[in-house]
Amino acid sequence: MSRWRYLAKRFLMAIPVLWLGTSMTWAIIFLGPINPATYVLGQTNPQNQAAVKAARERFGLGEPPLEHYTEFMINMVTLDLGQTWLLYPGTPVMSLIFDYAPRTVWLGFWSVLIAVFVGVPLGFYAGLNSNSVSDYATSLTGIVWRAMPNFWLAIMLLALLVKSETITQALFGIPISWDTFLVDINAITGNPQLSYMQGNPLALVTQPRETLAAIKKILPAAVVLGSASMGNEMRIGRTAVLETRSEQYIDTAKAKGVSGRVLVWKHILRNALIPLVPIVTSEAFLLIGGSVLVETVFGINGMGKLFFDAAIQGDLWLVATLMFIFIILIVGINIVQDLLYTLIDPRVGYERE
Amino acid sequence: MSTITDSEDPAAIAALDGTESFLERVLAYPRPAAVWTVVALALFALEAGAVAHFVATLLVDLVRALPGTYDPAAFSRLASATAQVPTLLSRETIPNAGYWNGRSFVGTFLQLPPHLAWFLRVGLVYVYSFAFVAWIWVGFDRYRRYYRAADWSPRDDVIDRFRNHYWGIFGLVVVFMFVVMAVFAPALGPTTVEKNMQNPYGHTITHWDAEQNEPTQVTVGQANRASQSRGTRTNNVAPLSYDQFGRYHPFGTLPTGRDLFTFIAAGARISLVIGLLSVSLSIAIASTLALLSAYYKGAVDLSFVLLSDAVMALPQLLLLIMLTVVLSGTWIGNLYNGAFVLALIFAGTGWPYMWRSFRGPALQVAQREWVDAARSFGQRPTAIMRKHMLPYITGYVLIYGSMTLGGAIIAIAGLSYLGLGVNPPTPEWGRAVNAGQPYVDTVSWHISLIPGVLITLVVTGFNALGDGVRDAIDPESDSAAGEAGGRGGGA
Repeated sequence: MSRWRYLAKRFLMAIPVLWLGTSMTWAIIFLGPINPATYVLGQTNPQNQAAVKAARERFGLGEPPLEHYTEFMINMVTLDLGQTWLLYPGTPVMSLIFDYAPRTVWLGFWSVLIAVFVGVPLGFYAGLNSNSVSDYATSLTGIVWRAMPNFWLAIMLLALLVKSETITQALFGIPISWDTFLVDINAITGNPQLSYMQGNPLALVTQPRETLAAIKKILPAAVVLGSASMGNEMRIGRTAVLETRSEQYIDTAKAKGVSGRVLVWKHILRNALIPLVPIVTSEAFLLIGGSVLVETVFGINGMGKLFFDAAIQGDLWLVATLMFIFIILIVGINIVQDLLYTLIDPRVGYERE
Repeated sequence: MSTITDSEDPAAIAALDGTESFLERVLAYPRPAAVWTVVALALFALEAGAVAHFVATLLVDLVRALPGTYDPAAFSRLASATAQVPTLLSRETIPNAGYWNGRSFVGTFLQLPPHLAWFLRVGLVYVYSFAFVAWIWVGFDRYRRYYRAADWSPRDDVIDRFRNHYWGIFGLVVVFMFVVMAVFAPALGPTTVEKNMQNPYGHTITHWDAEQNEPTQVTVGQANRASQSRGTRTNNVAPLSYDQFGRYHPFGTLPTGRDLFTFIAAGARISLVIGLLSVSLSIAIASTLALLSAYYKGAVDLSFVLLSDAVMALPQLLLLIMLTVVLSGTWIGNLYNGAFVLALIFAGTGWPYMWRSFRGPALQVAQREWVDAARSFGQRPTAIMRKHMLPYITGYVLIYGSMTLGGAIIAIAGLSYLGLGVNPPTPEWGRAVNAGQPYVDTVSWHISLIPGVLITLVVTGFNALGDGVRDAIDPESDSAAGEAGGRGGGA
């Protein structure tokens, strides 16, 4: 029963967080020193008082702050996101999001997946062979990998891919171009082609060629975006294995003669996975923030790039609405994380009361 | 460790019984303290001019920034007066900018080739800095041995544990070298930001013209234009090489022909200033709130939980972008080339991550008997928090402070890579990465690679230092705690 109460409490807590976060966004944007109306008019005619006034009226900026705030909050909560002002004038924000989001979701999915499937096994390997040379090598690689700035890593990776033919020639004696490796892609950077799945999600399986091309296109960006997470997961996986190994039930299992293989797979690794769950979900913070830089470097028109363009050009309405979407996403991910955690580890509900 | 048997004058110390003040103990046996002070003063005197100049320029900036009635001219005079004080580690004492007059080098230190003069100066700066730190360590050791009333304190154990933590020491050395680079930035560069970047056409250099067979003058701006690094063999000045005007470039040149090392040294300073300012601000906010929520619990704690959750629900890097855009162009956005507002934004967005890490230990200490005792004794809540709770969480402050600083450096670089943050002519590492991006796979690879490698190294250093401090303070702590703090919101 306590577990359900804990979750119900968790949901209740999410409401004020959502409200506070959205209010802060509104305050920064609409109470801040920027005058959105002059931004919209741009360099053309900021002195023209009539035009400024008209623009203010159009965006409801002439209203008293409290009224504007209430209207903004109601619009957000009812998901009535309105239209952009500047970036693609007049386009409904919702359709922009539907256009841009799939690429970011695709990118985020692969970056989480790569990070988990490379980072966790490496961390477990290091933990099982602790204090060996390979452990030190893996740990050090993880630490350095984690410290590298994403944007720089992206640039370096791109340079390597551009030179892929020369490098593979030198290493293996055969020139392999990344462009034509396995499937052809027209350029290393740019948007992954996801349109083939439109209205037909099954195409993911039925058209493997397109799927492979889309994966290949997103792969370098996903590796970079997942780099920090990969390092984290490695580190925490290693610690988790070390801690699990010293538990008493491992000694018990050893004493009763459980074979080495069963000991590792059933008793150590499965329990060591528990602390990794919140880490994987909490990486959403890094993914959403990091997507701005990675999408900029790789030229992917995703949500991060959209947010950045909107911020740079002063399309404050779009900035505010996108921020709201991100807040919902993060709050939602946090709830999912706690839900998963209570499912995996029933002690949680009691501890955190 | 016994204080008495080690000392050279046991009689004087034996007379003390441990109740005297520090000053009385020093007066009872002044020799070690006197020797230490004299050497420390001598070391300081070598650089006193630079310190005075730094303080004076800070005053000038401060007076300019404050919209007041004071006349900055008086302070400017003070600043230029302090610039005349000779210092050992300055570009005037060991000049590297000279030229070849056909027979020998003119204007360089001891007529050495410019690169040797530069290496000598950089080497001396680092030798001096390490000597300075070593001397502070000697001072602490002397204090422990001769003047501290207690034979042993728990802090000694912490220090001993850190001394055997090689990973932490590696971090400390890297961080220290970075700090030295930032502090001595004007003296380290082969040229200055003023001459090379801000006003290149207002300065001239002399160089050996091989065609006319005589030294000729050229403005720095013209020289820069002819020594650009733009990815072709003819148009590139590689690291550790001279350009055609006889100027030495330890890290090569930027695509604009400016010196990359000077750029990076100045960028280190601004990164460190923003990092330190923002981290100390967020530490102040986070520890205050953590103490409050641990002491009062209940509604106070809950409201801070909600507030921090709300701030954390806004992705940090996006919030940074949003705030820099909103605040750019305001008076506060122009303070110290936009660095000040950046530090404020970092502190405002970064404190929840730290608060989360401090809250646990603060809650623990709030349960202790001594807090209860102090409360029933009638001590004021502020005094209890400051005296009986704060010391317990200072260790965590050091750990997360170090890791957050690394994250802040990444995030600052990420922002300036995007063209936000520190205002453009001011050097910042991320901007060098951005400038070199088109040339990464050409001969001008150094422009992006070097700043990136340095960021990675410095951030690794800060993380390693944090690891070392954590293991030294609490050897049994969970070694993988507080991860998101060290990553600058995903930059």
